[in-house]
Amino acid sequence: MTDPAQGVLQGSVTQQENQQEGRRRWRPQWTARMALIPAMAITIFCFYGFIIWTFVISLTRSRLLPVYKFTGFDQYARLFANERWWTAMGNLAIHGFLFIGGCIVFGYLLAILIDRGVKAEGLYRTVFMLPLSMSFIVTGVIWQWVMNPGLGLQEAVRALGWAGFEFNWIVRPDRSIYTLAIAGIWQQVGLCMALFLAGLRNIDPNIWKAARVDGIPVWRVYLHIITPMMRAVFFTVFILMSAIVMKAFDLVVALTGGGPGFSSDLPARFIVDHILNRQELGLGAAGAFVLLCTVIAVIAPYIYFELQKERSGRGH
Amino acid sequence: MKKFSKVAALAAFLSAGVSAGALHAQTAEVLHWWTSGSEQAALAEVRKVFEASGGEWVDTPIAGGGNARAAAVNRMLGGDPAAVFQFSIGQQLRELADQGLLANVDKIASEEHWDDKLPPLIVKAAKYDGDYIAAPINIHGENWMFYNKAALEKAGVDVPKSWDDFVAAAKKLKDAGVTPIGLGGQPWQERIMFNSVLLGVAGREFYAKLYSTLDDDLLDSDTMRKVFETFAALKPFVDEGSPGRNWNEATNMVIKGDAAFQFMGDWAKGEIIAAGIEPGTTVGCSFAPAIDTAYIMTVDAFAFSAMDGEEATPAQIKMAHVMLEPDVQIAFNKKKGSIPARLDVPADSFDICAQTAIKTLQDKKTHLVSTGLFGVPSAVSGAIDDSISNFWNSTDMSPAEGQAQFHQAISNAK
Repeated sequence: MTDPAQGVLQGSVTQQENQQEGRRRWRPQWTARMALIPAMAITIFCFYGFIIWTFVISLTRSRLLPVYKFTGFDQYARLFANERWWTAMGNLAIHGFLFIGGCIVFGYLLAILIDRGVKAEGLYRTVFMLPLSMSFIVTGVIWQWVMNPGLGLQEAVRALGWAGFEFNWIVRPDRSIYTLAIAGIWQQVGLCMALFLAGLRNIDPNIWKAARVDGIPVWRVYLHIITPMMRAVFFTVFILMSAIVMKAFDLVVALTGGGPGFSSDLPARFIVDHILNRQELGLGAAGAFVLLCTVIAVIAPYIYFELQKERSGRGH
Repeated sequence: MKKFSKVAALAAFLSAGVSAGALHAQTAEVLHWWTSGSEQAALAEVRKVFEASGGEWVDTPIAGGGNARAAAVNRMLGGDPAAVFQFSIGQQLRELADQGLLANVDKIASEEHWDDKLPPLIVKAAKYDGDYIAAPINIHGENWMFYNKAALEKAGVDVPKSWDDFVAAAKKLKDAGVTPIGLGGQPWQERIMFNSVLLGVAGREFYAKLYSTLDDDLLDSDTMRKVFETFAALKPFVDEGSPGRNWNEATNMVIKGDAAFQFMGDWAKGEIIAAGIEPGTTVGCSFAPAIDTAYIMTVDAFAFSAMDGEEATPAQIKMAHVMLEPDVQIAFNKKKGSIPARLDVPADSFDICAQTAIKTLQDKKTHLVSTGLFGVPSAVSGAIDDSISNFWNSTDMSPAEGQAQFHQAISNAK
């Protein structure tokens, strides 16, 4: 069974290959190569082997058990005729955009604020990092309570006297998908902040001095000088957060259960639901494979572009 | 079970190798998903009798039906099956039987005349190719309507007998400040309510015919339109916090009087008893409004892995015997909140709701089963859940559109 995250891992594999190319030029010792064999074998077997197996299963009409009676692309036809699948894919796009964007923007802003020299920096860092210590399940349950219109934020604000206050996104089919991004950003923004902060601390202080001499306003230094220098950090954060989006399963299970209806369903949940609860192994495998292809199509060009850039950058 | 595939042969071979040393004649590993308090207490009744009669019970509880089913199947394929495992009867279990992974318990079933004692629809669902591949231990009913008597009195309404009555009563309840329907907004709970409406509006024959044939004409019929219209008319009577709510929270709304009605299976009685209320007193139970009397049955069942061949081992036979023993049926089902799978067990020690159910089932015309037990693939019952839930939660879908997408979803999944 393909893990939806494999598409992202694909990225690191490409990286590995690049490194290997480099090593070949240095003529490594045989022992080093030998030591790599187990890892290589596991990678090839577990990743590529299972990707192929998933694809094979998706061409069969397996339900509860793998049955190797091939039916061509029937399962894909059924998948594409399934309204719930398209809702889930649309939701993945919305959630991915909001979650990755939100984490990058808020994480960077928080890092900048802390970098500007707040008092009690350690305290803020801890506070922002704290949600990260919780699992997505716990995060989901907490936010489910907070956003429950009957007992959470809406009720609390109304009790304060603001009777018209409405915050019922979690029970509205047209808004429930946004609640996933809220809870997800809340949990992951600390990690992004830490990564950005580490990046900001690595900036040569002389750049700041030079900018001050030239009288450039602080926001412009950040926007036009610092941010382009942080490219590698943005890249890391993007890849890390993409991986989280693609495997997003526990958060949606705990927060909305895919509901109301299946309005906040995500592909990973669709796949697991069909394989484990509905005994639709073939359909689930088809979903997993389509998800993998989507991920590769979206992320691979970006990774390729970034790595190309880095390599040519190093040459100068 | 004539087809004995390679997988099964391998599984049997491995299991024979693995367990040859460890297997005592009367040891049975029982894999199940009953982890909550009342469920465990109920199963303990079976265990007590099984052990008293010389068996050794190895307990393997796994939380969550989906996880437990997956574990049972994986262990079977891995060659280390649990001798007895809880499973839903229906299409998936037949698929396991088809691969030769199951043992049959025909020996005990014919000795004890299961054919005559269990409801015919359940017999049909528990058999594959004429062999019993599962032991049904109980019957749960899905078309129950639980209600808070004080809330009904407050609004001055009686227990409704038809869905038109229900809508009228619900309006009064809403005006009186009570949430008319305590609904847990999860697909399976919405389907339970939908099935009650379907049965109530279209009648028992239509219900049985629809789910057993999935016929296009029935799906497109005017009767079906009326079902969707009635179902849609219930939307305003649910509170805002409904989506995602668990069934037991909804039951507690009825117990406390925050909500007037809940459409739920009789496992809700477990919550009512836990709140210190005898079902049928301050919290009443009746069948959901309907034009004729019927009982939508769903079954908890245990199946038996093929340990060496398709004949059940002595321990498995003993387990099947114990599970359907009249005394065990009474003790187990009182704790579980269900009624005995055997219809010849005396009803008088059960609560009033269970007594009603047992009496109703004496008339075979009232027998119906839940969506999944009609032998439809789980993909179809899943698609039914999805489309009902989608319709219920949509704000702009008309009943006609709801009916059309219901039909479409079933056709795609078939």
